[in-house]
Amino acid sequence: MSPLPPGSAVTARHVLRQALRRQRRPVLIGVTLLGLHQVTEALVPVAIGVIIDRAVVTGDPWALAYSVAGLAALFTVLAFAYRNGARQAFAAVEREAHLLRVELAERALDPRGHRSGLRDGELLSVAASDAELSAYVVRVAGFGVAAVSALTVAAVALLVIDVPLGLGVLIGVPVLVLALQRMAPLLSRRSASQQEALAETTALAVDLVSGLRVLRGIGAQHHAAGRYAAASRRALAVTLRAANTKGLHLGLTTAANGLFLAAVAGAAGWLALRGRLTIGELVTVVGLAQFIAEPVQTLGYCVQLFAMARASAARVARVLGAEPLTRPGAASRPDRTDGPRLVLDHVGHAALDGVCLRVDPGEIVGVLAYDPADADALVALLSGRVPADRRRGAVRVDGVPADDLDIDALRGAVLVEPHDVTLFEGTVAANLAAGRSTDEGRLRAAVRAAAADDVVDAHPGGLGHRLVERGANLSGGQRQRLGLARALHADPPVLVLHDPTTAVDAATEAQLADGLAGARGDAPRGTLLVTSSPALLRITDRVVVIADGRVTAEGTHEHLLATDARYREETLR
Amino acid sequence: MTADPRTAEPGRALLPTATARRTWTTLGAEFRRRPGLSAAATAVLVAAATGGLVAPWVLGRLVDDVIADAPVSRIAGRVAVIAGAAVLTGLLTAAGAALASRLGETVLARLRERVLDRALHLPSATLERAGTGDLLARVGDDVAVVTNVIAVSGPAFVGALLSVVLTVFGLVALDWRLGLAGLVAAPAYALALRWYLRRSAPYYARERVATGERTQAMAGALRGAATVRAYRTEDAHVAAIAERSGVARDLSLEIFNLHTRFGLRINRSEFLGLAAVLVAGFFLVRADLVTVGAATTAALYFHRLFNPIGLLLMESDSVLQAGASLARLVGVATLPDTAPSAPSAAGRRGPAALDVTVRRHRYDDDGPLVLADVELRLAPGERVALVGASGAGKSTLAGIAAGIIAPTDGSVRLGGVPLTERGEHAVRRDVALVSQEVHVFAGPLAEDLRLAAPDATDAELLDALDRVGATTWLRALPDGLATAVGEGGHRLTAAQAQQVALARLVLAAPAVAVLDEATAEAGSAGARDLDRAALAATEGRTTLIVAHRLSQAVAADRVHRLDHGRIVEQGTHSELLAADGRYGHLWRSWSVPV
Repeated sequence: MSPLPPGSAVTARHVLRQALRRQRRPVLIGVTLLGLHQVTEALVPVAIGVIIDRAVVTGDPWALAYSVAGLAALFTVLAFAYRNGARQAFAAVEREAHLLRVELAERALDPRGHRSGLRDGELLSVAASDAELSAYVVRVAGFGVAAVSALTVAAVALLVIDVPLGLGVLIGVPVLVLALQRMAPLLSRRSASQQEALAETTALAVDLVSGLRVLRGIGAQHHAAGRYAAASRRALAVTLRAANTKGLHLGLTTAANGLFLAAVAGAAGWLALRGRLTIGELVTVVGLAQFIAEPVQTLGYCVQLFAMARASAARVARVLGAEPLTRPGAASRPDRTDGPRLVLDHVGHAALDGVCLRVDPGEIVGVLAYDPADADALVALLSGRVPADRRRGAVRVDGVPADDLDIDALRGAVLVEPHDVTLFEGTVAANLAAGRSTDEGRLRAAVRAAAADDVVDAHPGGLGHRLVERGANLSGGQRQRLGLARALHADPPVLVLHDPTTAVDAATEAQLADGLAGARGDAPRGTLLVTSSPALLRITDRVVVIADGRVTAEGTHEHLLATDARYREETLR
Repeated sequence: MTADPRTAEPGRALLPTATARRTWTTLGAEFRRRPGLSAAATAVLVAAATGGLVAPWVLGRLVDDVIADAPVSRIAGRVAVIAGAAVLTGLLTAAGAALASRLGETVLARLRERVLDRALHLPSATLERAGTGDLLARVGDDVAVVTNVIAVSGPAFVGALLSVVLTVFGLVALDWRLGLAGLVAAPAYALALRWYLRRSAPYYARERVATGERTQAMAGALRGAATVRAYRTEDAHVAAIAERSGVARDLSLEIFNLHTRFGLRINRSEFLGLAAVLVAGFFLVRADLVTVGAATTAALYFHRLFNPIGLLLMESDSVLQAGASLARLVGVATLPDTAPSAPSAAGRRGPAALDVTVRRHRYDDDGPLVLADVELRLAPGERVALVGASGAGKSTLAGIAAGIIAPTDGSVRLGGVPLTERGEHAVRRDVALVSQEVHVFAGPLAEDLRLAAPDATDAELLDALDRVGATTWLRALPDGLATAVGEGGHRLTAAQAQQVALARLVLAAPAVAVLDEATAEAGSAGARDLDRAALAATEGRTTLIVAHRLSQAVAADRVHRLDHGRIVEQGTHSELLAADGRYGHLWRSWSVPV
């Protein structure tokens, strides 16, 4: 398990520290080897100078042989240090990102909900990209240490050759790089707005093409294309501004590096003329002066990378440290009760006010809310996703207050199948079983009760037919019926259904209502049907009518039809 | 409806991909459209890369000066040259980058606009067969890949390429024998690249699949979190995410290992080239054929090549990937332009008669018969309802009537003229289809509505919304018409989204309206409002309505009942009730309490 502190105490710093701690071993090995690699890279220009000096200037074949052998050895160390060091560092990033991703998924799916305040899309982007970017802290460590090692070696080599010249180079390069770094905030601001503009155009394109059939239905493709073209032009303008800034930075860097090189070459040349430097040392100094800009730049890059990792880690921490939405108790359900299965005692939430309602064993109770918002509020309340501070009154399950029940006991007792049925990628059978062990007979029975035989039989694969994500290859009515079959198969003590047949045609709905009555009609099951469909209300034992947030009538469907004009109007098709 | 034939079998590649040659020709044509900019960008980039060669060359001369014990003034002259070249090269680099981006980004923007234009105007037949999956991948992922490569790696890649080419020139110009020695590395580099590309492409394809599956598992679970919690399947979903994330991670590690092995081969090539240049320099200096300075310059030139060559090689596969995406984009962009040259403001005004004849219709040659012997005549302004059980063929018939689906054997006439003669885009302005597919476009609500009528004033928009009964909830929106809706914005309920769809229909003002299960997903409480909205939106238009709820049939002038692809009952609601057929039976079981 992760060694993070509980709750909202989680900060970006915790996430980053945890990454380094969890990946300690690969980070250490990676840092060491990447450092070694940078050292050898720094030694390449030194080696060129030495070879010019010892072999090319002298014309000594033995010196040449040694030189080439030495160069080969240097490259061997360089290559293997990079290979193994980079592998370790990269693996550490990937492993940490994976761990974070799984932890984020666990947290996002916490049965108690979470108060991160992030929408699904944002959660997804945190799990997909911020997990990875937070783990980049490992890369920062690797590159940073490597750059420092390279600078150290270069510094030593320069100082050994000539102290004043070495000092000049060692002070000049960082000053130069830091000066150029001053453009970094502008650069990242510009490229951030560029990325944003491009992401917006991509999102617009995807949105328009997703709604292509709608556009085509009203002949609006041309206008849509025009809208995209305008967005694309705006993105182009932003991109060009970013490109100009980048070009300016590149030009400045080139000019500054060149001017610095001119200064170093001039000084070293003058010293060489004076005899204080050999030819080889002159070459080395010039080579190193060019080389050390690289590790200094790497350090600057590390600073940026760290800022990015920290920003991402803050978003990760926001999810990992999010408070649960609800605070369930620890009680378990009584083994058997003879009383009502579900009781709402003067419950209030949103516009609901003082709603009382009970479902006895073997009962199917209908709820007709004249305002759909009241139905939504009631269903949200029963789904257990309304925190205690936003509701009033008590919900009791088998006589125990729902707030006292352990989360698993509560969810094991009350199942709410949402109106907007969500199916998952996988076979029809896996969707219907929803994680429960089962057999084909039971699945088939549930499918039949939900009048969904035609959905299953439409494909040769039957129950083994694969659904794509969200069941997008099914029509709305097919999804609703499979959702109902899933709920019936789960066979919970209390089942709450919300408008389960809105996309189902009349004939099928009648068949489905009979199936539902057969599957849920006998004790000890209790069922709450939140609907205005007469076909469904007809199979209920009682109907509770909610108007303006209050229960205004209660009785059998027939009685209400016969006596209540408003009821008749609301259920008339 | 039976299984939707449009979204079945994802991944069927029916959209064209351009050949490499076609891609180059198309891009070349785009560059030629901007001859001045193209020439200027090329010239400045070449000049900048050349400027980069000055310093190593002068450094070599400096070495010779030191050996020759030249006066200090000579050194000062050399330094001045390096400094001057630095300033000039800096200027050229900045200008080159700006020009190159202007050129590349403008061409890319034009390309993506064309791709989207063609995608949106894809003929219905192609769209129905290809589905939107591939299209979405092209306008989304492919555009993003190309854009990113051009914006992020593009300038560096072009710069590196030029710098490599010019440095090789410089090396050869310095002394052809030293140049030859440097070229020893070329085959080694080439072999390394070939070794790598052979292995990397399939890996990247697998990585894309693995990352996609990982995202899919996460997206499915997160979007369905309410259901996941209700059924207590968190553990299974987290396990699935962990499993897929693990697969993606392992694949990334394998790919990175491949990368590092490639790196090893690049290092070997670097060593070979550098050693060859130094050894050649040694012998040439000994034979007095070149100076020590020239040998030094050669070694420095070659050392300078390490970074750009490394960049070129390491970026090669992202460039290849961008190339593949580019080919897919050009494939769409070079589809024939079927869009109308100018958006004609008005289609047919006033209601028109619609005659639909379908002798036979199947989706596949050997598929089941979906419709047979269907004759449907709608008088101008008449409202006809289609009823029938799931799978009876209602949606297919609606699609045919709207001209979205071409019947296997049959015809559709609007005001006596076959739709096929009028051309798809003209038909779209005359016959509107509001299908089951509800989509609210992301952005301000007004923008969404203006897709149907770009020139509509705010008052007209409000009018249209009022007509479909949306005024109540519109008032509750935080910013009224300017409220951002759709993905990432204010979430509209299914019923509200349907009302928006009907408001678009009002604004589009077609002669014929086809409503396919338009109130299907409304939720029962709001369904009656939607019925009223649909009536208001189609007032005075010839209307074919797929009635999901029988109340919609009651309001129609005539009702047709479909069963297994054939019309089995037709007449007014009361005629059908009087006839006491299946329709009457349905109606009674539906409306009267038992």
